[in-house]
Amino acid sequence: MFGDLRRFDTARTQGLDWFRQLMDEMLPEAGAADIRSVPRGSFPMINVGRTDDAVRVYVFAAGLSADDLEVSLQDNVLTVSGRRGPEAAREDASAPTEFRSERFRGEFSRSLALPDGLDIERAEARFRDGVCEVLLPKREELRPRRIAIQAA
Amino acid sequence: MNDVIRQDAPQAPADRDRDREREVETLQPPVDIFEDGNALHLVADMPGVTRESLHIEVDNNVLSLEGEVRLEMPEGLTAIYAEVRAQRYARRFTLSHEIDAEAIQARIDNGVVELVLPRKETHRRRRIEVKAA
Repeated sequence: MFGDLRRFDTARTQGLDWFRQLMDEMLPEAGAADIRSVPRGSFPMINVGRTDDAVRVYVFAAGLSADDLEVSLQDNVLTVSGRRGPEAAREDASAPTEFRSERFRGEFSRSLALPDGLDIERAEARFRDGVCEVLLPKREELRPRRIAIQAA
Repeated sequence: MNDVIRQDAPQAPADRDRDREREVETLQPPVDIFEDGNALHLVADMPGVTRESLHIEVDNNVLSLEGEVRLEMPEGLTAIYAEVRAQRYARRFTLSHEIDAEAIQARIDNGVVELVLPRKETHRRRRIEVKAA
């Protein structure tokens, strides 16, 4: 999956997140950060991939269903928002003793800028196994085109 | 032309190393653990994992939770931005002796794994009645 992720790679595992965050606080990045960047590990995590004819956005939103997630597009900015409540088992539990609570709960909203030239009218989204895939086809005139070379 | 070949040659083993590294690389799923009466509950976020690609094992009091991300992706997809950078989730926990390993139940729904770890019968909480003297 995402064969050349290494290009973006900075972290080895999520396990080092706390340390990274600490380091980020102490030594803020000197360079310019993306205007919409969020701290690493924010919910939901998002991957974006590109093929010749479309851009695909994968939103890793476990525990949400199609109704819970709202996907909207405006001026090439994709926004995913929604709310994740506690699980039924937890609600049933009367005064449970908590040991760990690492999973995100509550409202969320994330935006990201998409590349230009997408045909938003034909965008599709579907949900499977806690991952929402948004398919954004490229506009016809922007797809790669092969140019035939004619013999002189 | 010879230069090109010379440049390309050492790249092949490097790629292989990278592949091996990627195999080892895993994500740590966030979990909630809470106790309710006679059982411990463990809830883990593993989006992209299906029922078939999820493996839960108890070995020598170590509970291991592993899952592979199975996403349908078209050929020739290149990443332009990625926060999820591995294919596998893995996390392990040591169980205490009062957990009944035989009776652990698990289910996965929309990428959320829910485990119920009941206590052994002999370790359940018992209320002790206080009698009037």
